[in-house]
Amino acid sequence: MTPTVPRCEELAAPSHWRTVDLLSDLHLQASEPGTVAAWRHYLQTTPADALFILGDLFEVWVGDDALDDPGSFESRACALLQAASRQRALFFLHGNRDFLIGPGFARRTGATLLQDPTVLVWQGQRLLLSHGDALCLQDVDYQRFRVQARSAQWQEHFLAQPLEQRRTQARGIRAESEARKQSGAVYADVDGPAAIAWLQAADASTLIHGHTHRPAEHTLAPHLRRVVLSDWDAAAHPPRADVLRLTPQGLERVAIVPT
Amino acid sequence: MSNPQVELHITGYGVITLELDAEKAPKSTENFLSYVNKGHYNNTIFHRVIPGFMVQGGGFEPGMNQKGTDAPIENEAKNGLKNANYTVAMARTSDPHSATAQFFINVADNGFLNHTAPTAQGWGYAVFGKVVAGTEVVDKIKAVKTGRKGFHDDVPKDDVVIEKAVAL
Repeated sequence: MTPTVPRCEELAAPSHWRTVDLLSDLHLQASEPGTVAAWRHYLQTTPADALFILGDLFEVWVGDDALDDPGSFESRACALLQAASRQRALFFLHGNRDFLIGPGFARRTGATLLQDPTVLVWQGQRLLLSHGDALCLQDVDYQRFRVQARSAQWQEHFLAQPLEQRRTQARGIRAESEARKQSGAVYADVDGPAAIAWLQAADASTLIHGHTHRPAEHTLAPHLRRVVLSDWDAAAHPPRADVLRLTPQGLERVAIVPT
Repeated sequence: MSNPQVELHITGYGVITLELDAEKAPKSTENFLSYVNKGHYNNTIFHRVIPGFMVQGGGFEPGMNQKGTDAPIENEAKNGLKNANYTVAMARTSDPHSATAQFFINVADNGFLNHTAPTAQGWGYAVFGKVVAGTEVVDKIKAVKTGRKGFHDDVPKDDVVIEKAVAL
């Protein structure tokens, strides 16, 4: 084999994986028990050999030390993941809400943290997995915040504050963002040329991402497609909860219906 | 003791001077110097050039003839050196401990190549030095026209030849 350097992080799917599920944007939070229940039901019933969570599993994550309290919402949610990871491989990459998930989360849940983006090599195909926020280039303010919040310096400073203070701060940021949403702000979508550039750089043909809450499949170029995951909200009418499922037959969208 | 330096004389482009980190990457440094001193890199090419990512060489002669190598070495990616712009690191196969002669110069901050875990997935790529002179030569190399040659992508259309590698 010739030595080479992968252009972006690569994960070769073991040959025994028959079914791979991809999902994102569950925004799990204590005030949405219906979505948590749908998530629990899904984890207990999915036939998938591997699960890829492409960010925003949690509405907010203020630090892995939230897991030190066994009664915290984070601890209870991670117990579900830990049980699931005993039966299947579990992967996570960061969303814009839970970008502070770190090694403590990985240890507790058994999940492997992936870089954004990562190429999944599956049965000869190369699928580029991302949360998608880095591609929404028109959200200029957010992109500026993203660069800052991903720096070691910002994270050290934030994580140095007491847990309760971080929770309060996160609530404040969330209230601001809700107010913005209520005021009818238009959110940017994934930038097409940037998505094409990512796919070409990764030598991949399919980009799978979440973040935008606009589930769809777009053709970017004759051989390049962008498949967007749905968010989950069990309280919506009709409820939203679905995953993209990869099998040897292809990629399909599967609705999760709690019984 | 100061760190060893190596000059890569690139025909028609100029000279790239590498400083090797013998303290943090002793095995990679020794390995690289051994290939330099026996003339392995003389008349080899940069055969994989991807702007915004890296330029890789040290394994092929012009015409894409792959050269023989010595035994693979231990991957020193745990040493804390980052795959930052203008650093030099060892190329390898998917086996973390498979580097031989081929190396690459990062032409961007490639954080995803850094060591994150002692697993096949997380080993990363061992940085063992950096460009201390001739970054403009690296910039010229990364801008060359490339195409597909045989099984290889991103091969410069016109050979970028390391005429000689000299330990200072």
